[in-house]
Amino acid sequence: MSLEIRDITKSFGGFRALDGVRLTIETDALFGIIGPNGAGKSTLFSVISGFVPADSGEIRLNGDPIDGLSPPQRARAGMVRTFQVPREFSHLTVRENLMASAPDQTGESLLGLFFRPGQVRKEEAKIAETVERTIAFLKLGKVADVPSGKLSGGQKKLLELGRALMVEPKLILLDEPFAGVNPVLIGEIMERIEELNARGIGFVIIEHDLEALTRLVPRLAVMDRGKVLAEGAPAAVLEDPVVREAYLGGVS
Amino acid sequence: MFYAQLFVNGLFQGLVIGLAALSITLVFGIARFPNAATGDSMTLGAYAALAAHKASGSFIVAGLGAAGATGLVLLLAYWSVFRKLANRSVVALLVASIGIAFVLRAALGVAFGHGQQVFQVPLARPYLFGGLRILPLDLQMALVALVTLIAVFGLLYLTAIGRQMRAVADNRDLARVSGIRPGRVMIALWLLAGAVAGIAGMMLGMKTIVTPEFGWEMLLPAFTAAILGGIGSPVGAVVAGLILGAMQEVSTPFVGFTYKIAIAFVIMLAVLLVRPRGLFGRVEGVR
Repeated sequence: MSLEIRDITKSFGGFRALDGVRLTIETDALFGIIGPNGAGKSTLFSVISGFVPADSGEIRLNGDPIDGLSPPQRARAGMVRTFQVPREFSHLTVRENLMASAPDQTGESLLGLFFRPGQVRKEEAKIAETVERTIAFLKLGKVADVPSGKLSGGQKKLLELGRALMVEPKLILLDEPFAGVNPVLIGEIMERIEELNARGIGFVIIEHDLEALTRLVPRLAVMDRGKVLAEGAPAAVLEDPVVREAYLGGVS
Repeated sequence: MFYAQLFVNGLFQGLVIGLAALSITLVFGIARFPNAATGDSMTLGAYAALAAHKASGSFIVAGLGAAGATGLVLLLAYWSVFRKLANRSVVALLVASIGIAFVLRAALGVAFGHGQQVFQVPLARPYLFGGLRILPLDLQMALVALVTLIAVFGLLYLTAIGRQMRAVADNRDLARVSGIRPGRVMIALWLLAGAVAGIAGMMLGMKTIVTPEFGWEMLLPAFTAAILGGIGSPVGAVVAGLILGAMQEVSTPFVGFTYKIAIAFVIMLAVLLVRPRGLFGRVEGVR
Protein backbone atom coordinates (compact mmCIF):
# COMPACT_ATOMS: atom_id res chain seq x y z
CA MET A 1 0.00 0.00 0.00
CA SER A 2 1.74 3.13 -1.14
CA LEU A 3 1.48 6.55 -2.67
CA GLU A 4 3.84 6.80 -5.62
CA ILE A 5 4.80 10.17 -6.99
CA ARG A 6 6.54 9.75 -10.31
CA ASP A 7 8.46 12.55 -12.00
CA ILE A 8 5.92 15.27 -11.26
CA THR A 9 6.64 18.65 -12.80
CA LYS A 10 4.57 21.79 -12.48
CA SER A 11 5.34 25.30 -13.68
CA PHE A 12 3.49 28.52 -12.95
CA GLY A 13 4.37 30.84 -15.81
CA GLY A 14 8.15 30.64 -16.01
CA PHE A 15 8.54 29.40 -12.44
CA ARG A 16 9.24 25.70 -11.97
CA ALA A 17 7.47 24.90 -8.73
CA LEU A 18 7.99 21.16 -9.06
CA ASP A 19 10.85 19.74 -11.09
CA GLY A 20 10.72 15.99 -11.46
CA VAL A 21 9.60 15.02 -7.95
CA ARG A 22 9.86 11.32 -7.18
CA LEU A 23 8.76 9.87 -3.87
CA THR A 24 7.27 6.63 -2.66
CA ILE A 25 5.37 6.90 0.60
CA GLU A 26 3.88 3.99 2.54
CA THR A 27 0.23 4.83 3.16
CA ASP A 28 0.27 3.64 6.76
CA ALA A 29 3.41 5.54 7.74
CA LEU A 30 4.25 8.94 9.18
CA PHE A 31 6.21 10.79 6.55
CA GLY A 32 7.56 14.32 6.78
CA ILE A 33 8.40 16.87 4.09
CA ILE A 34 10.58 19.84 4.96
CA GLY A 35 12.15 22.58 2.91
CA PRO A 36 12.48 26.34 2.72
CA ASN A 37 9.64 28.58 1.59
CA GLY A 38 8.99 28.21 -2.10
CA ALA A 39 10.52 24.73 -2.20
CA GLY A 40 7.30 23.38 -3.73
CA LYS A 41 5.92 21.50 -0.73
CA SER A 42 2.41 22.94 -0.78
CA THR A 43 2.31 22.72 -4.58
CA LEU A 44 3.18 19.05 -4.28
CA PHE A 45 0.24 18.61 -1.88
CA SER A 46 -2.06 20.43 -4.28
CA VAL A 47 -0.99 18.14 -7.10
CA ILE A 48 -1.35 14.99 -4.98
CA SER A 49 -4.80 15.99 -3.75
CA GLY A 50 -5.95 17.03 -7.22
CA PHE A 51 -6.35 20.78 -6.72
CA VAL A 52 -3.70 21.59 -9.30
CA PRO A 53 -3.04 19.44 -12.36
CA ALA A 54 0.57 18.39 -12.93
CA ASP A 55 2.26 19.32 -16.20
CA SER A 56 3.76 15.86 -16.47
CA GLY A 57 4.33 12.79 -14.35
CA GLU A 58 2.01 10.39 -12.65
CA ILE A 59 0.58 9.68 -9.21
CA ARG A 60 -0.49 6.23 -8.14
CA LEU A 61 -2.38 5.26 -5.03
CA ASN A 62 -1.96 1.57 -4.22
CA GLY A 63 -0.87 0.94 -7.79
CA ASP A 64 -3.80 2.73 -9.49
CA PRO A 65 -3.19 6.00 -11.32
CA ILE A 66 -5.36 8.73 -9.75
CA ASP A 67 -4.43 11.63 -12.02
CA GLY A 68 -7.90 11.79 -13.56
CA LEU A 69 -9.75 12.03 -10.23
CA SER A 70 -11.20 15.27 -8.80
CA PRO A 71 -10.37 16.27 -5.21
CA PRO A 72 -13.64 14.86 -3.79
CA GLN A 73 -13.08 11.62 -5.69
CA ARG A 74 -9.60 11.38 -4.25
CA ALA A 75 -11.08 12.04 -0.83
CA ARG A 76 -13.51 9.17 -1.31
CA ALA A 77 -10.58 7.00 -2.44
CA GLY A 78 -9.18 7.55 1.06
CA MET A 79 -6.81 10.47 0.69
CA VAL A 80 -7.60 13.90 2.13
CA ARG A 81 -5.65 17.05 2.75
CA THR A 82 -5.72 19.98 5.15
CA PHE A 83 -4.59 23.50 4.43
CA GLN A 84 -1.73 25.67 5.63
CA VAL A 85 -4.24 28.34 6.59
CA PRO A 86 -7.07 26.36 8.16
CA ARG A 87 -10.35 26.50 6.30
CA GLU A 88 -13.68 25.93 7.93
CA PHE A 89 -17.36 26.75 7.49
CA SER A 90 -16.97 29.64 9.88
CA HIS A 91 -20.67 30.24 10.61
CA LEU A 92 -21.42 26.59 11.21
CA THR A 93 -20.68 25.14 14.63
CA VAL A 94 -17.88 22.65 15.14
CA ARG A 95 -20.45 19.87 15.24
CA GLU A 96 -22.13 21.05 12.03
CA ASN A 97 -18.76 21.37 10.31
CA LEU A 98 -18.09 17.72 11.01
CA MET A 99 -21.62 16.66 10.04
CA ALA A 100 -21.34 18.51 6.73
CA SER A 101 -18.07 16.77 5.98
CA ALA A 102 -19.53 13.27 6.10
CA PRO A 103 -19.81 12.01 2.53
CA ASP A 104 -22.74 10.43 0.71
CA GLN A 105 -25.75 11.13 2.88
CA THR A 106 -29.23 10.17 1.70
CA GLY A 107 -30.50 13.39 3.27
CA GLU A 108 -28.37 15.31 0.76
CA SER A 109 -31.08 14.88 -1.82
CA LEU A 110 -34.57 16.30 -1.40
CA LEU A 111 -36.03 13.11 -2.83
CA GLY A 112 -34.18 11.07 -0.24
CA LEU A 113 -35.37 13.43 2.45
CA PHE A 114 -39.04 13.03 1.54
CA PHE A 115 -39.23 9.46 0.38
CA ARG A 116 -36.74 7.66 2.60
CA PRO A 117 -37.04 9.47 5.92
CA GLY A 118 -36.36 6.27 7.86
CA GLN A 119 -33.02 5.73 6.21
CA VAL A 120 -32.15 9.41 6.51
CA ARG A 121 -32.80 9.27 10.25
CA LYS A 122 -30.73 6.11 10.63
CA GLU A 123 -27.83 7.65 8.72
CA GLU A 124 -28.06 10.91 10.64
CA ALA A 125 -27.88 8.97 13.88
CA LYS A 126 -24.83 7.06 12.66
CA ILE A 127 -23.09 10.21 11.45
CA ALA A 128 -23.95 11.98 14.68
CA GLU A 129 -22.34 9.12 16.56
CA THR A 130 -19.16 9.35 14.46
CA VAL A 131 -19.16 13.11 15.00
CA GLU A 132 -19.47 12.73 18.77
CA ARG A 133 -16.61 10.21 18.78
CA THR A 134 -14.47 12.54 16.69
CA ILE A 135 -15.26 15.49 18.97
CA ALA A 136 -14.34 13.44 22.02
CA PHE A 137 -11.17 12.15 20.37
CA LEU A 138 -10.02 15.66 19.46
CA LYS A 139 -11.15 17.03 22.84
CA LEU A 140 -13.29 19.68 21.19
CA GLY A 141 -16.28 18.95 23.42
CA LYS A 142 -16.25 22.38 25.05
CA VAL A 143 -16.50 24.19 21.74
CA ALA A 144 -18.75 21.71 19.91
CA ASP A 145 -21.58 24.24 19.57
CA VAL A 146 -19.43 27.29 18.94
CA PRO A 147 -19.33 28.74 15.41
CA SER A 148 -15.99 27.50 14.13
CA GLY A 149 -14.91 30.98 13.03
CA LYS A 150 -14.46 31.79 16.72
CA LEU A 151 -11.97 28.99 17.44
CA SER A 152 -8.28 29.54 18.15
CA GLY A 153 -5.69 28.67 15.51
CA GLY A 154 -4.86 25.37 17.17
CA GLN A 155 -8.51 24.41 17.59
CA LYS A 156 -9.07 25.14 13.91
CA LYS A 157 -6.22 22.79 13.05
CA LEU A 158 -7.85 20.11 15.19
CA LEU A 159 -11.18 20.76 13.47
CA GLU A 160 -9.50 20.38 10.08
CA LEU A 161 -8.11 17.06 11.23
CA GLY A 162 -11.62 16.13 12.39
CA ARG A 163 -13.16 17.06 9.05
CA ALA A 164 -10.53 14.95 7.33
CA LEU A 165 -11.38 12.03 9.62
CA MET A 166 -15.08 12.18 8.65
CA VAL A 167 -14.35 10.62 5.25
CA GLU A 168 -12.62 7.67 6.98
CA PRO A 169 -9.36 8.24 5.16
CA LYS A 170 -6.38 5.96 4.83
CA LEU A 171 -3.92 8.76 4.22
CA ILE A 172 -4.08 12.35 5.44
CA LEU A 173 -1.95 15.14 4.01
CA LEU A 174 -1.30 17.76 6.70
CA ASP A 175 -0.02 21.15 5.56
CA GLU A 176 1.84 22.73 8.48
CA PRO A 177 -0.32 21.39 11.30
CA PHE A 178 1.77 23.17 13.95
CA ALA A 179 2.09 26.61 12.36
CA GLY A 180 0.73 29.31 14.65
CA VAL A 181 -0.39 26.80 17.26
CA ASN A 182 0.49 27.26 20.93
CA PRO A 183 2.98 24.69 22.30
CA VAL A 184 0.44 22.91 24.52
CA LEU A 185 -1.85 22.27 21.57
CA ILE A 186 1.12 21.18 19.43
CA GLY A 187 1.72 18.34 21.87
CA GLU A 188 -2.00 17.56 21.75
CA ILE A 189 -2.09 17.46 17.96
CA MET A 190 1.03 15.27 17.85
CA GLU A 191 -0.55 12.79 20.25
CA ARG A 192 -3.70 12.61 18.12
CA ILE A 193 -1.62 12.01 15.00
CA GLU A 194 0.30 9.20 16.71
CA GLU A 195 -2.91 7.58 17.98
CA LEU A 196 -4.48 7.70 14.53
CA ASN A 197 -1.32 6.29 12.99
CA ALA A 198 -1.43 3.42 15.45
CA ARG A 199 -4.89 2.66 14.03
CA GLY A 200 -3.39 2.39 10.55
CA ILE A 201 -4.02 5.88 9.15
CA GLY A 202 -0.98 7.29 7.34
CA PHE A 203 0.13 10.92 7.41
CA VAL A 204 2.25 13.01 5.13
CA ILE A 205 3.20 16.16 7.02
CA ILE A 206 4.65 19.37 5.68
CA GLU A 207 6.23 21.32 8.51
CA HIS A 208 8.57 24.19 9.24
CA ASP A 209 8.92 23.21 12.88
CA LEU A 210 11.84 20.84 12.35
CA GLU A 211 12.11 19.89 15.98
CA ALA A 212 8.45 18.81 16.23
CA LEU A 213 8.59 17.00 12.93
CA THR A 214 11.72 15.00 13.68
CA ARG A 215 10.15 13.82 16.95
CA LEU A 216 7.08 12.65 15.07
CA VAL A 217 8.19 11.00 11.83
CA PRO A 218 10.62 8.13 11.26
CA ARG A 219 11.22 9.20 7.65
CA LEU A 220 11.27 12.50 5.87
CA ALA A 221 12.17 14.11 2.59
CA VAL A 222 13.86 17.47 2.07
CA MET A 223 12.71 19.62 -0.84
CA ASP A 224 14.33 22.65 -2.38
CA ARG A 225 13.50 24.50 -5.59
CA GLY A 226 11.01 21.89 -6.74
CA LYS A 227 13.31 18.92 -6.23
CA VAL A 228 13.70 16.24 -3.59
CA LEU A 229 17.22 16.69 -2.22
CA ALA A 230 17.33 13.78 0.17
CA GLU A 231 15.10 11.23 1.82
CA GLY A 232 15.53 8.97 4.82
CA ALA A 233 15.65 8.93 8.61
CA PRO A 234 15.64 12.49 10.06
CA ALA A 235 19.07 12.26 11.69
CA ALA A 236 20.75 10.97 8.55
CA VAL A 237 18.97 13.43 6.26
CA LEU A 238 19.83 16.42 8.42
CA GLU A 239 23.50 15.40 8.38
CA ASP A 240 23.51 15.32 4.57
CA PRO A 241 25.85 18.13 3.38
CA VAL A 242 23.61 19.01 0.41
CA VAL A 243 20.68 19.45 2.77
CA ARG A 244 22.69 21.51 5.23
CA GLU A 245 23.78 23.75 2.41
CA ALA A 246 20.30 24.25 0.96
CA TYR A 247 18.03 24.20 3.95
CA LEU A 248 20.11 25.29 6.89
CA GLY A 249 22.15 27.71 4.80
CA GLY A 250 25.37 25.86 5.64
CA VAL A 251 25.17 26.86 9.31
CA SER A 252 26.22 23.99 11.51
CA MET B 1 -55.04 52.59 19.28
CA PHE B 2 -55.08 53.85 15.72
CA TYR B 3 -51.30 53.38 15.45
CA ALA B 4 -51.43 50.01 17.19
CA GLN B 5 -53.92 48.91 14.54
CA LEU B 6 -51.65 50.17 11.77
CA PHE B 7 -48.70 48.45 13.43
CA VAL B 8 -50.51 45.11 13.51
CA ASN B 9 -51.66 45.50 9.92
CA GLY B 10 -48.08 46.28 9.04
CA LEU B 11 -46.85 43.09 10.66
CA PHE B 12 -49.17 41.07 8.44
CA GLN B 13 -47.87 42.99 5.41
CA GLY B 14 -44.38 42.41 6.75
CA LEU B 15 -44.82 38.64 6.63
CA VAL B 16 -45.20 38.86 2.86
CA ILE B 17 -42.16 41.12 2.56
CA GLY B 18 -40.24 38.85 4.91
CA LEU B 19 -40.95 35.73 2.88
CA ALA B 20 -39.94 37.48 -0.34
CA ALA B 21 -36.78 38.73 1.35
CA LEU B 22 -36.09 35.21 2.59
CA SER B 23 -36.21 33.95 -0.99
CA ILE B 24 -33.82 36.72 -2.08
CA THR B 25 -31.42 36.17 0.77
CA LEU B 26 -31.28 32.38 0.26
CA VAL B 27 -30.36 32.86 -3.40
CA PHE B 28 -27.87 35.57 -2.57
CA GLY B 29 -26.20 33.52 0.14
CA ILE B 30 -25.82 30.36 -1.90
CA ALA B 31 -25.91 31.26 -5.61
CA ARG B 32 -24.38 34.66 -4.86
CA PHE B 33 -26.42 37.08 -6.92
CA PRO B 34 -29.43 39.33 -6.32
CA ASN B 35 -32.33 37.56 -7.97
CA ALA B 36 -34.42 40.25 -9.65
CA ALA B 37 -36.90 37.61 -10.78
CA THR B 38 -38.12 37.16 -7.20
CA GLY B 39 -40.98 39.66 -7.61
CA ASP B 40 -42.29 38.06 -10.77
CA SER B 41 -41.89 34.63 -9.19
CA MET B 42 -44.35 35.91 -6.60
CA THR B 43 -46.74 36.89 -9.37
CA LEU B 44 -46.42 33.42 -10.80
CA GLY B 45 -47.17 31.97 -7.38
CA ALA B 46 -50.27 34.11 -7.09
CA TYR B 47 -51.63 33.01 -10.49
CA ALA B 48 -50.78 29.37 -9.76
CA ALA B 49 -52.62 29.68 -6.46
CA LEU B 50 -55.62 31.33 -8.19
CA ALA B 51 -55.80 28.50 -10.72
CA ALA B 52 -55.40 25.80 -8.07
CA HIS B 53 -57.99 27.49 -5.87
CA LYS B 54 -60.51 27.76 -8.69
CA ALA B 55 -60.01 24.11 -9.55
CA SER B 56 -60.13 22.73 -6.03
CA GLY B 57 -61.74 25.36 -3.81
CA SER B 58 -59.11 24.63 -1.19
CA PHE B 59 -56.57 27.15 0.03
CA ILE B 60 -54.22 24.36 1.07
CA VAL B 61 -54.15 23.05 -2.50
CA ALA B 62 -53.69 26.65 -3.66
CA GLY B 63 -50.66 27.05 -1.41
CA LEU B 64 -49.12 23.78 -2.55
CA GLY B 65 -49.80 24.78 -6.17
CA ALA B 66 -48.12 28.15 -5.66
CA ALA B 67 -45.09 26.62 -3.95
CA GLY B 68 -44.76 23.76 -6.43
CA ALA B 69 -45.24 25.75 -9.63
CA THR B 70 -42.93 28.58 -8.61
CA GLY B 71 -40.30 26.17 -7.33
CA LEU B 72 -40.31 24.23 -10.57
CA VAL B 73 -40.18 27.34 -12.76
CA LEU B 74 -37.23 28.76 -10.84
CA LEU B 75 -35.53 25.37 -11.01
CA LEU B 76 -36.05 25.48 -14.76
CA ALA B 77 -34.61 29.00 -14.85
CA TYR B 78 -31.58 27.74 -12.96
CA TRP B 79 -31.22 24.75 -15.22
CA SER B 80 -31.50 26.67 -18.47
CA VAL B 81 -29.88 30.01 -17.59
CA PHE B 82 -28.26 30.59 -14.17
CA ARG B 83 -26.34 27.31 -14.22
CA LYS B 84 -24.62 28.28 -17.46
CA LEU B 85 -23.62 31.67 -16.07
CA ALA B 86 -22.46 30.34 -12.72
CA ASN B 87 -18.83 31.22 -13.34
CA ARG B 88 -19.57 34.66 -14.74
CA SER B 89 -19.78 37.89 -12.84
CA VAL B 90 -22.59 38.82 -10.47
CA VAL B 91 -23.70 41.45 -12.99
CA ALA B 92 -24.20 38.81 -15.69
CA LEU B 93 -26.39 36.80 -13.33
CA LEU B 94 -28.31 39.88 -12.17
CA VAL B 95 -29.03 40.92 -15.75
CA ALA B 96 -30.05 37.37 -16.61
CA SER B 97 -32.47 37.35 -13.67
CA ILE B 98 -33.99 40.64 -14.90
CA GLY B 99 -34.45 38.89 -18.23
CA ILE B 100 -36.16 35.95 -16.55
CA ALA B 101 -38.37 38.45 -14.73
CA PHE B 102 -39.52 40.03 -18.01
CA VAL B 103 -40.15 36.64 -19.58
CA LEU B 104 -42.23 35.54 -16.60
CA ARG B 105 -44.27 38.76 -16.55
CA ALA B 106 -44.92 38.63 -20.29
CA ALA B 107 -45.87 34.94 -20.18
CA LEU B 108 -48.28 35.54 -17.31
CA GLY B 109 -49.79 38.49 -19.17
CA VAL B 110 -50.40 36.36 -22.24
CA ALA B 111 -51.72 33.42 -20.26
CA PHE B 112 -54.00 35.23 -17.82
CA GLY B 113 -54.59 38.62 -19.42
CA HIS B 114 -53.88 42.00 -17.86
CA GLY B 115 -57.20 42.30 -16.06
CA GLN B 116 -57.38 42.27 -12.29
CA GLN B 117 -58.12 38.97 -10.66
CA VAL B 118 -59.09 38.33 -7.07
CA PHE B 119 -59.26 35.35 -4.77
CA GLN B 120 -62.81 34.44 -3.88
CA VAL B 121 -62.38 34.88 -0.15
CA PRO B 122 -65.45 34.54 2.04
CA LEU B 123 -66.26 37.72 3.92
CA ALA B 124 -65.81 37.40 7.63
CA ARG B 125 -66.24 39.61 10.65
CA PRO B 126 -62.92 40.64 12.21
CA TYR B 127 -61.97 39.34 15.63
CA LEU B 128 -61.61 41.95 18.33
CA PHE B 129 -58.58 41.72 20.61
CA GLY B 130 -58.85 44.47 23.17
CA GLY B 131 -59.80 47.02 20.55
CA LEU B 132 -57.57 45.67 17.79
CA ARG B 133 -59.48 44.39 14.79
CA ILE B 134 -57.89 41.37 13.16
CA LEU B 135 -59.31 39.64 10.11
CA PRO B 136 -59.56 35.85 10.24
CA LEU B 137 -57.92 35.84 6.82
CA ASP B 138 -54.90 37.65 8.23
CA LEU B 139 -54.57 35.11 11.00
CA GLN B 140 -54.84 32.25 8.54
CA MET B 141 -52.17 33.80 6.38
CA ALA B 142 -49.94 34.35 9.35
CA LEU B 143 -50.35 30.66 10.03
CA VAL B 144 -49.40 29.84 6.44
CA ALA B 145 -46.33 32.05 6.76
CA LEU B 146 -45.43 30.41 10.05
CA VAL B 147 -45.72 26.92 8.59
CA THR B 148 -43.59 28.00 5.63
CA LEU B 149 -40.95 29.47 7.92
CA ILE B 150 -40.89 26.37 10.10
CA ALA B 151 -40.46 24.21 6.99
CA VAL B 152 -37.65 26.40 5.61
CA PHE B 153 -35.74 26.69 8.86
CA GLY B 154 -36.27 23.01 9.63
CA LEU B 155 -34.80 22.16 6.26
CA LEU B 156 -31.88 24.56 6.69
CA TYR B 157 -30.94 23.65 10.24
CA LEU B 158 -32.03 20.06 10.77
CA THR B 159 -31.29 18.19 7.57
CA ALA B 160 -28.17 17.13 5.71
CA ILE B 161 -29.08 19.10 2.59
CA GLY B 162 -29.75 22.21 4.69
CA ARG B 163 -26.41 21.87 6.40
CA GLN B 164 -24.78 21.55 3.01
CA MET B 165 -26.64 24.61 1.72
CA ARG B 166 -25.30 26.59 4.66
CA ALA B 167 -21.85 25.12 4.10
CA VAL B 168 -21.90 26.22 0.43
CA ALA B 169 -23.10 29.68 1.49
CA ASP B 170 -20.24 29.83 3.98
CA ASN B 171 -17.30 28.64 1.90
CA ARG B 172 -18.02 27.38 -1.56
CA ASP B 173 -14.51 26.10 -2.32
CA LEU B 174 -14.24 24.20 0.91
CA ALA B 175 -17.69 22.71 0.31
CA ARG B 176 -16.56 21.43 -3.05
CA VAL B 177 -13.45 19.73 -1.67
CA SER B 178 -15.45 18.32 1.22
CA GLY B 179 -17.36 16.22 -1.28
CA ILE B 180 -20.54 18.31 -1.16
CA ARG B 181 -22.22 18.07 -4.55
CA PRO B 182 -23.00 21.60 -5.71
CA GLY B 183 -25.64 20.44 -8.22
CA ARG B 184 -27.83 18.95 -5.52
CA VAL B 185 -27.48 22.00 -3.32
CA MET B 186 -28.52 24.23 -6.22
CA ILE B 187 -31.58 22.13 -7.04
CA ALA B 188 -32.68 22.29 -3.41
CA LEU B 189 -31.98 26.02 -3.29
CA TRP B 190 -34.07 26.93 -6.32
CA LEU B 191 -36.98 24.72 -5.35
CA LEU B 192 -36.92 26.25 -1.89
CA ALA B 193 -36.45 29.87 -3.00
CA GLY B 194 -39.20 29.39 -5.58
CA ALA B 195 -41.61 27.79 -3.13
CA VAL B 196 -41.10 30.59 -0.61
CA ALA B 197 -41.57 33.30 -3.26
CA GLY B 198 -44.65 31.50 -4.57
CA ILE B 199 -46.28 31.39 -1.16
CA ALA B 200 -45.40 35.05 -0.57
CA GLY B 201 -47.09 35.78 -3.92
CA MET B 202 -50.22 33.91 -2.94
CA MET B 203 -50.42 35.78 0.37
CA LEU B 204 -49.99 39.12 -1.37
CA GLY B 205 -52.63 38.13 -3.93
CA MET B 206 -55.14 37.33 -1.22
CA LYS B 207 -54.61 40.74 0.39
CA THR B 208 -54.86 42.71 -2.83
CA ILE B 209 -55.69 42.18 -6.47
CA VAL B 210 -53.58 40.06 -8.77
CA THR B 211 -52.19 41.59 -11.95
CA PRO B 212 -49.13 40.50 -13.94
CA GLU B 213 -47.20 43.49 -12.54
CA PHE B 214 -48.03 43.25 -8.87
CA GLY B 215 -45.07 41.09 -7.83
CA TRP B 216 -42.57 43.34 -9.54
CA GLU B 217 -43.68 46.19 -7.31
CA MET B 218 -42.79 44.12 -4.26
CA LEU B 219 -39.19 43.73 -5.35
CA LEU B 220 -37.98 46.97 -3.79
CA PRO B 221 -39.37 46.39 -0.29
CA ALA B 222 -38.21 42.76 -0.47
CA PHE B 223 -34.67 43.79 -1.40
CA THR B 224 -34.71 46.42 1.31
CA ALA B 225 -35.70 43.83 3.89
CA ALA B 226 -32.99 41.44 2.66
CA ILE B 227 -30.38 44.20 3.01
CA LEU B 228 -31.73 45.47 6.32
CA GLY B 229 -31.69 41.95 7.73
CA GLY B 230 -28.14 41.41 6.57
CA ILE B 231 -27.89 39.85 3.15
CA GLY B 232 -27.51 36.08 3.38
CA SER B 233 -29.13 35.88 6.82
CA PRO B 234 -32.47 34.00 6.67
CA VAL B 235 -33.57 35.06 10.17
CA GLY B 236 -32.60 38.65 9.42
CA ALA B 237 -34.69 38.70 6.24
CA VAL B 238 -37.85 37.70 8.07
CA VAL B 239 -37.33 40.05 11.02
CA ALA B 240 -36.49 42.93 8.70
CA GLY B 241 -39.59 42.17 6.64
CA LEU B 242 -41.74 42.56 9.74
CA ILE B 243 -39.99 45.79 10.74
CA LEU B 244 -40.34 47.22 7.26
CA GLY B 245 -43.99 46.24 6.97
CA ALA B 246 -44.81 47.87 10.31
CA MET B 247 -42.86 51.03 9.45
CA GLN B 248 -44.59 51.40 6.10
CA GLU B 249 -48.04 51.15 7.65
CA VAL B 250 -47.36 53.35 10.68
CA SER B 251 -45.81 56.04 8.48
CA THR B 252 -48.78 56.18 6.11
CA PRO B 253 -50.68 58.89 8.08
CA PHE B 254 -47.58 61.10 7.90
CA VAL B 255 -46.34 60.58 4.36
CA GLY B 256 -49.50 59.49 2.65
CA PHE B 257 -50.42 56.28 0.95
CA THR B 258 -48.55 57.05 -2.26
CA TYR B 259 -45.24 57.58 -0.56
CA LYS B 260 -45.20 54.73 1.89
CA ILE B 261 -43.20 52.76 -0.69
CA ALA B 262 -40.55 55.47 -0.46
CA ILE B 263 -39.96 54.41 3.15
CA ALA B 264 -38.28 51.33 1.74
CA PHE B 265 -35.95 53.52 -0.32
CA VAL B 266 -35.02 55.64 2.64
CA ILE B 267 -34.37 52.62 4.83
CA MET B 268 -32.31 50.92 2.16
CA LEU B 269 -30.17 54.04 1.70
CA ALA B 270 -29.77 54.50 5.43
CA VAL B 271 -28.74 50.87 5.96
CA LEU B 272 -26.27 50.93 3.09
CA LEU B 273 -24.72 54.14 4.38
CA VAL B 274 -24.69 53.42 8.10
CA ARG B 275 -24.56 49.68 8.55
CA PRO B 276 -24.04 47.89 5.24
CA ARG B 277 -23.96 44.47 6.84
CA GLY B 278 -27.50 44.92 8.13
CA LEU B 279 -29.00 43.86 11.44
CA PHE B 280 -27.97 40.22 11.44
CA GLY B 281 -25.30 40.36 8.77
CA ARG B 282 -21.70 39.42 8.82
CA VAL B 283 -18.79 41.33 7.42
CA GLU B 284 -18.31 39.84 4.01
CA GLY B 285 -14.93 39.80 2.40
CA VAL B 286 -14.49 41.11 -1.09
CA ARG B 287 -14.99 38.35 -3.58
